[in-house]
Amino acid sequence: MTSSESGGSTAQLASKLYDECLAKFPPDHLFYQQDLLGLGVVPKNDLGLLLQCTQWLVDQKLFRLLQGKNDRLSWKLISREDAEKLQSLSPDESLVYNVIHSTGRSGIWVRAIQNRTNVHKSILDRCLKSLEGKNYIKSVHNVKYPSRKMYMLAGLAPSEDVTGGAWFTDGVLDANFINTIATYIEYTVSRKSWFEVPSSDGPRNKRIKTSSGAAVKQDAEKEYLAFPPGYKGYPTVSMITAAVNESGLTPVRLGEDSIAQLCDVLCYDNKLVAINGGEFYKSTKNPEAVKQEQMRKESNQEPADTSRELVKNGMTEAPCGQCPVFKLCTPGGAVSPESCEYFGPWLEKALGF
Amino acid sequence: MSSQYASEICTLLVEDNFGELFGRIFSTLLRYNRLPLPRLKHYSGLSERQLHYGLAAMIQHRLVFHYTAYDDGITYYEANIQFSYYLVRSGKILEFIKERLGDYAAAVMSTIMLLGHAQIGYLEDLPELNAHHPISNGVTEEGDVDGEYGSIKEAEDPEGQEGEEGQVNGVNGDYAPSGPSGLLHPTLKTLAAHGYITRVREAHFQSYSDNVLDAERAVKSRPEVKQLKGKKLEEAVLEKTIDLIRERTDGDLTHGLVFNGVPRGAKRSHGTEADGPNKKSRLNYDSVDGDEDIEENEWSDDEMVGDVVPMQLSKSGLVVQVNYEKLDVALRNRRFLELAEKDASPVTSHIYECLLRRIEYQTRCCRDTAEIPREGEEGEQYSAPISLTAVVEEVDPKLDVAGSIAPKDISQPFNRRGKRPLEDGVNGDHHEGPNGVASEGNRIFDIDQHLSLLAQPPYNLTSKRTIGGLTTWTVEFRYLARKLRHLELERMVEARYGDVAFRVIRILHAKGKLDEKRLQEISLLPFKDLRQVLALMQAGGFVDLQEVPRDAQRQPSRTIYLWYYDPDRIRAGMLEDIYKTMSRCLQRLRFERSRMKDFLEKTERSDVKGNEMRYLSEAELKTLQQWKAREALLLGEVSRLDDMVAVMRDY
Repeated sequence: MTSSESGGSTAQLASKLYDECLAKFPPDHLFYQQDLLGLGVVPKNDLGLLLQCTQWLVDQKLFRLLQGKNDRLSWKLISREDAEKLQSLSPDESLVYNVIHSTGRSGIWVRAIQNRTNVHKSILDRCLKSLEGKNYIKSVHNVKYPSRKMYMLAGLAPSEDVTGGAWFTDGVLDANFINTIATYIEYTVSRKSWFEVPSSDGPRNKRIKTSSGAAVKQDAEKEYLAFPPGYKGYPTVSMITAAVNESGLTPVRLGEDSIAQLCDVLCYDNKLVAINGGEFYKSTKNPEAVKQEQMRKESNQEPADTSRELVKNGMTEAPCGQCPVFKLCTPGGAVSPESCEYFGPWLEKALGF
Repeated sequence: MSSQYASEICTLLVEDNFGELFGRIFSTLLRYNRLPLPRLKHYSGLSERQLHYGLAAMIQHRLVFHYTAYDDGITYYEANIQFSYYLVRSGKILEFIKERLGDYAAAVMSTIMLLGHAQIGYLEDLPELNAHHPISNGVTEEGDVDGEYGSIKEAEDPEGQEGEEGQVNGVNGDYAPSGPSGLLHPTLKTLAAHGYITRVREAHFQSYSDNVLDAERAVKSRPEVKQLKGKKLEEAVLEKTIDLIRERTDGDLTHGLVFNGVPRGAKRSHGTEADGPNKKSRLNYDSVDGDEDIEENEWSDDEMVGDVVPMQLSKSGLVVQVNYEKLDVALRNRRFLELAEKDASPVTSHIYECLLRRIEYQTRCCRDTAEIPREGEEGEQYSAPISLTAVVEEVDPKLDVAGSIAPKDISQPFNRRGKRPLEDGVNGDHHEGPNGVASEGNRIFDIDQHLSLLAQPPYNLTSKRTIGGLTTWTVEFRYLARKLRHLELERMVEARYGDVAFRVIRILHAKGKLDEKRLQEISLLPFKDLRQVLALMQAGGFVDLQEVPRDAQRQPSRTIYLWYYDPDRIRAGMLEDIYKTMSRCLQRLRFERSRMKDFLEKTERSDVKGNEMRYLSEAELKTLQQWKAREALLLGEVSRLDDMVAVMRDY
């Protein structure tokens, strides 16, 4: 009788303690003994009673027992809905759930769960299956270890380490997305890093327009000038980021880090140039050239002849530069300049007869 | 010693230019290195008469070094790889001289080049340099040299191959009627002042190592050195040897021919100006005036100031040669200029050209060391500083320096000087009055701005220095030479493996060694593409993989794999490949020629040559034209490959 009474009173006291905690502290607070005693719920600071209360709360899955600094006991609150969820779990399941919960947004590898819980593999599999079925946890794809099976709580979004940042979709590098954004950045930066000469000779252009339609395009070619040294109007990373986020190209908001990363890549592509050690970015080509280059890429995979010229030098244009048997070639050998089958077509192609 | 492919290309060049006898001797010397006459006779299988004739001529052409030992009195012969390779560059050099100093200077230069080295007196007697009557085929046998290589530049354009044969002859023929006989000496002086020709010293005929040994011996026998011992002796010998070699090989002729950093007879890029800008020089005494006001064909003006010029150049006994080192500097500057032209406006590159030209006058050779130093072990080396005012002087005063840089503030109305429609209508195109006088200070500032623009990344073509309150501009030659090499290699990677590879190479170059995962993170490339391109490049020798085991067992699973890109090694390999490609092009040309031998022999008959239209049928003319185009293409290719060799080896 007394025990049930005391049990009842403990339950009451405990729920009162729980409510107090919920009201007075943020949900993520780490409670130590003095925090709980400080609430003044437990009469006469009776440690035994406090222990009973916390034990009851832990049993009810309303408290999570943790080990704080210096091996002190500490607790954290669990919301009532979550607690209900947890109460329905079997002990094994709850063990597994707790382990997964503890890793937060980074997720945990199945083998690591096994190590930490010491549960047999088959039981673990069953637990994971049932937890996943109840939609408490989800499996995630880690970019760093694509072959590992990892789990995390269903309600959490995987961290950047797991997803690999903004450039990954479902753990795979989203090349199309990157290209779209890169193209956009290049054009945006290019527009800001060259000065467009206002067409003072507008009337002349118009006259040509009326005389023949074909000539317009050539004459409408804009003139671009470089800005003077020390010019401060080049776009910065934050400006670029703002422009990208406003462009509507990206479903998620991209951070400055991601954009800075992409700008670096564009520098390696020799499309942008970092000025003042990355304070500003400047494009190497003027907007018109950028547009043409991009149109060419979109319309046709095969690069046009004129742009191929740019990457050419003596070695790449000679047949020997591309020859697969170049190493074997000797005068009088099986492969020789006399018997070479590349020179003839090359000469003919270059000369056009 | 030289590599296999370098020897191959040099032998081919010698054979093509000077015939089989030279080729035979040259290749024998290359194969066996240094030989005395009896051994040479044995290995080459030539008669003594042939050898004597051949060697003498080859020494004259600087293709062979000779050295007579002190101890046994035996003369050794050795091939001169360097000079034989320069045969391929002769066309480019002549083109350059022609552009810089005019046709006649190019003709003089080509004559010196053909002769290897020449006495002034001999040049004086040469009819084609002096004569009043044109000589159509003055240089017969050796005319081929320039007929082939001299015309490479034009020949690259398949249309422009008409005037193919005998570029030199063409030049002479064109020039001779108007060429007064008094032109030779001023021209030579100009060439000497620019440093394009130097005096030949006896030591030039010996190989560098022989010179070193000789000098060492001479130094060691000096009484003051004999007293030294141990380390001190070594140091003293080393130092004095270098001094002695410099003294013995010094053929500098520029002394007394350079005024205020500008060589005598240098053609101002903008020609002679009207009165306005030359006011300053009017104040000076006549000689400088004569120098500054020189017109294209007024070199004879130089004679007026003959007392300032050292007499040595006028002496007929002086022997001169082409100074390839200096010409490399000039050609290298041209590459830098091309780099600038790619991005900068024409005005900016013109100003850059002016700066480079000023620097060229003060730069003797491309680098101090014989070999290109390894990446990262190379110190920075700045060119001679050129003061801003000197650059301003050099820039064409008519050039609109302000209009080609954007305003600092976009909101400001952009006003390009001289483009205002209203004033234009009144004053005509150039209104020098207000521009020339009022904005002198602005002009200096604007030119400074242009130079600062060039100093920006990615190329950092210039750099600014303030010495004693004076603004000067320099060019970081070693850095830029390195940049040229990298660009060339990157260009190859991009052409062969695409832009993904280009990105990867540039990342590896910037970051050093990276494992695959990190590389992927930086490059933002899908693993699949990345691996593919890395594997391809590894097979092509452009990237390499280093294994770093984490434990002693060296298990693959516990090993870190790092990708890296070593420009030095690739450069060395690439240089060999380029030599080889050049040889292949020349060999193919020879083969093509042999296929059309009969036909070509007909066109080269003395009665047909020059009268092709009369003697050849229409079909034959067409074949001839095709053949010339083909030859031009192959030679043009060789010349473009030589551009790469220059970047990889000489700059």
